[in-house]
Amino acid sequence: MEPPTASRADRIYQALLRLFPFDFRQDYQAEMEEVFREQRTHAEKNKMGLLRLWWETITGIFRTAPHEHLSILRQDTRFALRTLAKNPGYALVAVLTLALGIAVSSAIVSVVAAVLLRPLPYQNDSQLVVLHQVTSKASDGDVAFSVPEIKDYRSQTQSFSSLVEYHSMRFTLYSKDDATRVRAGVVSPGFFGMFGVKPVLGRDLTDADDQTGAPAVLLLSYEYWKQHCAGDPNIIGRTFQMNDRVHTVVGVLPPVPQYPDENDVYMPTSACPFRSAARANRDVHMMQMFGRLKFGQTPDNVRSDLGVVAARLVHDHPKSYPPEFGFTATSGLLRDELTNHARVTLWVLLAAAACLLLIACANVANLTLARMSARERELTVRTALGAGKGRLLRQLATESLIIGLAAAALGVWLASQSLHLLAAFTAGLTPRAREIHMDSTVLLVALAIAIGTSIFFGSVSALHSREDIGGGMKDGAPHTTAGRRRSRTRSLLVVCQVALSLVLLIGAGLLLRSLLKLQEVDPGFVPDRVLAVRMDVNWSKYPRRQQIRELGSRVLERIQSQPGVLSAAISSSYPLDPDNALGEGKNDFQIEGRPLRSGESPRIANSRAATPDYFKTLGIRLTQGRNFDASDNDKAPPVVVINQSMARRYWGNQSPIGCRITFDNAQTWHKIIGVVGDVHEFGPQLPAGDEAYFPYAQYPSLSAVLVRTDRDPMLIAIQLRQTIRDVDAQTAIANVKTLEQARQDAIASPRVLANLLGIFAALALTIAAAGVGGMLALAVNQRWHEIGVRITLGAKPRDVAGLIVRQGMTLVAAGLALGVLAAAALTRMMRSLLFEVRPLDAPTFAGVSLAVTAVALLACYLPARRALGIDPLLALRRE
Amino acid sequence: MHPDKNLESLTLTPAMFQVLLALGEEEKHGYAILKDVEDQTGGEVRLSTGTLYAIIKRLLSEGAIKECRNRPPADEDDQRRRYYRLTPVGRELAVAEAERMERLVATAREKHLLRRLHTA
Repeated sequence: MEPPTASRADRIYQALLRLFPFDFRQDYQAEMEEVFREQRTHAEKNKMGLLRLWWETITGIFRTAPHEHLSILRQDTRFALRTLAKNPGYALVAVLTLALGIAVSSAIVSVVAAVLLRPLPYQNDSQLVVLHQVTSKASDGDVAFSVPEIKDYRSQTQSFSSLVEYHSMRFTLYSKDDATRVRAGVVSPGFFGMFGVKPVLGRDLTDADDQTGAPAVLLLSYEYWKQHCAGDPNIIGRTFQMNDRVHTVVGVLPPVPQYPDENDVYMPTSACPFRSAARANRDVHMMQMFGRLKFGQTPDNVRSDLGVVAARLVHDHPKSYPPEFGFTATSGLLRDELTNHARVTLWVLLAAAACLLLIACANVANLTLARMSARERELTVRTALGAGKGRLLRQLATESLIIGLAAAALGVWLASQSLHLLAAFTAGLTPRAREIHMDSTVLLVALAIAIGTSIFFGSVSALHSREDIGGGMKDGAPHTTAGRRRSRTRSLLVVCQVALSLVLLIGAGLLLRSLLKLQEVDPGFVPDRVLAVRMDVNWSKYPRRQQIRELGSRVLERIQSQPGVLSAAISSSYPLDPDNALGEGKNDFQIEGRPLRSGESPRIANSRAATPDYFKTLGIRLTQGRNFDASDNDKAPPVVVINQSMARRYWGNQSPIGCRITFDNAQTWHKIIGVVGDVHEFGPQLPAGDEAYFPYAQYPSLSAVLVRTDRDPMLIAIQLRQTIRDVDAQTAIANVKTLEQARQDAIASPRVLANLLGIFAALALTIAAAGVGGMLALAVNQRWHEIGVRITLGAKPRDVAGLIVRQGMTLVAAGLALGVLAAAALTRMMRSLLFEVRPLDAPTFAGVSLAVTAVALLACYLPARRALGIDPLLALRRE
Repeated sequence: MHPDKNLESLTLTPAMFQVLLALGEEEKHGYAILKDVEDQTGGEVRLSTGTLYAIIKRLLSEGAIKECRNRPPADEDDQRRRYYRLTPVGRELAVAEAERMERLVATAREKHLLRRLHTA
């Protein structure tokens, strides 16, 4: 290596010296350059000597420069702490405001990172897809897969390296005198292998487990193992009596998000009696399918591959797939489907958090600028005494850094304390909520936000304060260039604060209005004091319909005789039934004498079996005809009660009473005997669908018990449970809930979201109002003399107040205008979260703008009052 | 703060002591200090400019050395140079350190870790 030439060597040495702090360089740079030059001159005789000199010089600089920085930092920190201690109010407000912004944003960043950004905890998650069958012309929802369909897709598609099936069942685990209901995921062998999930204990399900006649086995979910088996490490080999068979535990799964359901246990497909019974029936749709794409396959390829197979099915089995249904198959990435419901909500929350953080930052910047005005003289004097601009800048930045670090610590602590609440909320939207935690990335983000904002605003204010030294020596800093620039910056910050709070308030307002509309929706039934209970009997003990019928009658008789019970009913499902969330009872039907015309959409209705008191118990109105009664038994002609929506759709203004419909291709015709009111079965946000109710006596299906009481329904829950157990101890009871609670739960997500955004917006408005008020207070202080002169010259109190209020409200008006524009652009992303409220809802925009104006006027009032109290003589003397 | 107050808290590194020694007889500029340190240690200690000026800054702030107003005659002077000399505080510090070392050496001798000096 050649040593550098003289002038180049100087330049390199100068560049190296930049590693030292500004002050150090100011004191010693010239001298050091000179000494180094002399060293070089003496070393030049010997090339090795010169290289050694460079080496020693460079390592010396790298060793000493950090020490110099640290020593200055220590000095600055001591100084900053003393300065801040002199003005604790500023420090406290700045730290709290910033901490709040950091807390909210880091908590939400944690959630967004865990749910939307990180890859799934499965192997190569971008290759995992969910398969869908849709009948686009018949209904909005998916059609589940039948066993023959699964075989067809497995044998005919080209794009998958693996295709697995899944469905969820409720099974009952029996002990000697108790029965517990468990959610069982029924999966084909290789299901967990496809996701790259390996059991933490024992083994996975194998092909051998899936053979007919194989010993019944179970895989436990991690949560079930922890909660119900106390995390027993010797669980493998333990047996459970489940339905009519003894099942042996062969493995325990790791804690991974389960999709689409959180299950307690998993079993092979052959163990499910319902699936086995429908093995050859193409029309029994109960499974879901997942696949792993072959390497290089794109989602588009896969969709066309599936489309080809679906078209083949339509062609080969026209009875199962009538052309008018628009049957086809498609797929979506598992990663997206897992977070579908959460995505918009979380982005909205993230945007809201960003708004809040920006408002907090603007507020801190504003406070800092105001403080700089007060410190103008101090800084000017220090400059005059020889403090360099860099030195002052560094000192101010240190103050900001201390505030930023304190805020980051407090903010991260607040975030970690509130994260579990946010995770609980997110759990209602996606199974990925369990992955939410504070990690080092989020901590670093919080730290970066804190340090970045505090240093930036600290430096901005410092730069502003150093522009005009001479002017600063006088009182009345606003007349100086720096004072004017600072004032402009502060005004701009206030405008931004108002605009951002308006955006947040409008967002919160829209969600609130939407929530109110949801609450106003008439559910179609009266949920007060109705208790719903899911019951699962041991089916193996009641193989015949007559036995179920008798069991139901016994249960009902006992319940009806209980004190406090006004009426009771048994049904296959009920409104807001968590086990009927997908509307599993959807069937197509035909109307007697009215065959489907070509091009007409297929006729689909939800079907449900219920005892005669079902409508009375739930408070569903009978609008035409009659209800079921004891005469509608298994010997009587089949009858059906339909809802108004179905009556209107197919009979218009005519009465459907007496008409007949069939759900099984004309094998059984049901006579319509009554019409009842519509019910929002799946929550107020979803419209009431077409419903057909069958008498329990003709279609015994003992799944749920509904009880209307004259007291708090939860009081009789225990007694109800006992009554059912008395009839048959091997009956599992689950989902004990009042329908009022179910109704509240159905709108829990929109309510929590509206509350969260409401809290953010309220905080934002408070901070912004404080910003407006604080800025005006300073303005009054700075215009003290001018106002004094005005009062002396005869200005009326109204004029003085007007002067101040005008100054404030001009900024507020600019903020409102900007905010309305921003909100108009941003609320569009909330469309899917709103119910019967448009993103550009004029009443919300107007109401919120008025509210902000009112709050801003209030914020202007105090400084204006202060201006009115100015004594002109004192003010003139002060100048 | 009075320099004396900090004297006890100031721990002299070997390099700092060498700089104080280099200034023991007369005032010197930076390059001369470097050369002196190198000479008096037989080339064992070679200070870099960065290290030297960090030490100078520290010793100045502790009042152990000060910058001289007296400069050499104009024909020998270079305006870019600054000259430093030992203050009484610095001298005291250097003496204290030298005595400490002397005591150490004496102890080492007593323990037969060092040969006695041969007097001519």
